[in-house]
Amino acid sequence: MNTARQGLLLLQWQLRRSLPYIPLLVVVQVALAVATVVGYGLLVGTPSPDVALYLATGAPTITLITVGLVMTPQMLAQAKTEGSLDWMRTLPVPRWTFLASDLLMWTLIALPGMVLGVVAGVLRFNVNLSIAPWVVLAALLVSLTSASVGYAMASVLPPMLAQLLTQVLIFVVLLFSPVSYPASRMPEWLQTAHQFLPIEPMAQLVRAGLANASFTVPGRSMVVLGVWVCVSVAAALTALRRRA
Amino acid sequence: MYSSVHRTGGNYGAERRAQHPRIEQEVRGRRGVQANDGIDLDVLPGQVVGLLGHNGAGKTTLVNQVVGLVRPDAGAITLDGIDAVAHPHIARQRTSIQAQANVPITGLTPRTAIQLVGRIRGGRRRDVVARTQALVDALDIASWADTPSQKISGGMARLTAFCMTVVVPGRLVVLDEPTNDVDPVRRRLLWDAIRHLADDGAGVLLVTHNVREAERVVDHLVILDGGRVLAADTPAGLAASTRGTLTVELDLGARIGPDTAIGWPAAVTPTTRDRLRAAGTVAAESAADVVRWAQDQVQIGAVERYGLAAASLEDVYIRLVGPDHAPVAAEAETALQVVA
Repeated sequence: MNTARQGLLLLQWQLRRSLPYIPLLVVVQVALAVATVVGYGLLVGTPSPDVALYLATGAPTITLITVGLVMTPQMLAQAKTEGSLDWMRTLPVPRWTFLASDLLMWTLIALPGMVLGVVAGVLRFNVNLSIAPWVVLAALLVSLTSASVGYAMASVLPPMLAQLLTQVLIFVVLLFSPVSYPASRMPEWLQTAHQFLPIEPMAQLVRAGLANASFTVPGRSMVVLGVWVCVSVAAALTALRRRA
Repeated sequence: MYSSVHRTGGNYGAERRAQHPRIEQEVRGRRGVQANDGIDLDVLPGQVVGLLGHNGAGKTTLVNQVVGLVRPDAGAITLDGIDAVAHPHIARQRTSIQAQANVPITGLTPRTAIQLVGRIRGGRRRDVVARTQALVDALDIASWADTPSQKISGGMARLTAFCMTVVVPGRLVVLDEPTNDVDPVRRRLLWDAIRHLADDGAGVLLVTHNVREAERVVDHLVILDGGRVLAADTPAGLAASTRGTLTVELDLGARIGPDTAIGWPAAVTPTTRDRLRAAGTVAAESAADVVRWAQDQVQIGAVERYGLAAASLEDVYIRLVGPDHAPVAAEAETALQVVA
């Protein structure tokens, strides 16, 4: 049987089931993008052009990460609680097809918010972006990484714990990550921690794609991202395959 | 302990028997609690096998083992000659399962849900559309088929889940309590659909509490208790012990209190008693005397109605598992009972 066809049909199933909520998801993403840009603007007053560019190129990453790390695990935890996941696990679909279709859905759902984040940043701070064509791929990779990490989290942990963790993560991403400000402002231990977490590499990748003239991506960040994607996909796949 | 109560219906040739789903398993739950212990049952193509047992008897565990959601500690589950424990993905390709919990389909209509699942199961679009329409008609749910699922009742959701399971049926179809929440008229249609499924060549493993109705469609019955097989036979074989025995049921008059003893004739063996009803069994040759006695009770107002019927599979089931676990007896008029 054609597994790609099955994957697309599953994607259709998941998308059509989420259809009533998708407008709401987009509204939340808009709110997030605007809140990040306007809210940080309020915090820092009138930013210098450098700071403004950081804020404007950080906001899209924040919306991407929030969908992947917060909304994805919340929806999966809900699917676990309502029994939808267990039912889907009885279907004659290979586990990796199932995972791929779910990750594809969450990767795509995050993209409108990212675009809105860019627009909000440009309008608010009046910055000049130098967009590289590969930013589309970068956005997909970042979205996939955060969706995988979020998915793995909710696959491995009990639903309640996963839901709680998403609440904590939102604080970490918004306030304690070098997304909207440079890492050099953070205490040293936090800088070290972020060298191994996926958040900083995600921010660097999106930033370099949007303001290609001002930022580059260290090779190490790509490696860290790659490792997180692989480990997360493996963990989620193992959890899906696990038999009680 | 291994309990072998393996029996087969005799209508199938050896070459067909080599290719049927077969379950032999032994499961020990974690923390030393024993879940299932040596269940041995066969489901032949074309056969409906009923799996009966009270809550917690191990039915759902067994179902989850067949599709690889739960791993048995020992034993074998063979589907079409393939080891389902070692190859759960192949087991899933050949099995379709209606779980006890309803499938959440918010955002979809029943028809869309059935068709999408049919295509996910590998059906061609045109076939799936036709088969969906046939199922919708057979179960008389056409008026709800295109309603958003948020607005449909529990019974309709249950019937939709059934259709999703059988729209492209596997070689083995597992139905866990398919009649729950379904109205009496559509329950009959559902039983017919289950029978047709087997007649079309699928092996059907039917988990149910609804002994009385299942009797009409099952070819073979397995009764589970405490994770073990208590009895397994054809319905006629199981009921053989009750041949020549009748069940007498009384609807008690209003002035008979719950503690008042019923002066059954000596020929009657009392079985159940609750506030408004009492039942017992009687040998067929004494039935005429009991009818006379019951008629007298009606005359004096102690009994409102009475009835005599051939002892059913339900009676056999209750006798085997003990009245404490009797599932359908619990349905008897105790909708609201207040014990002060």
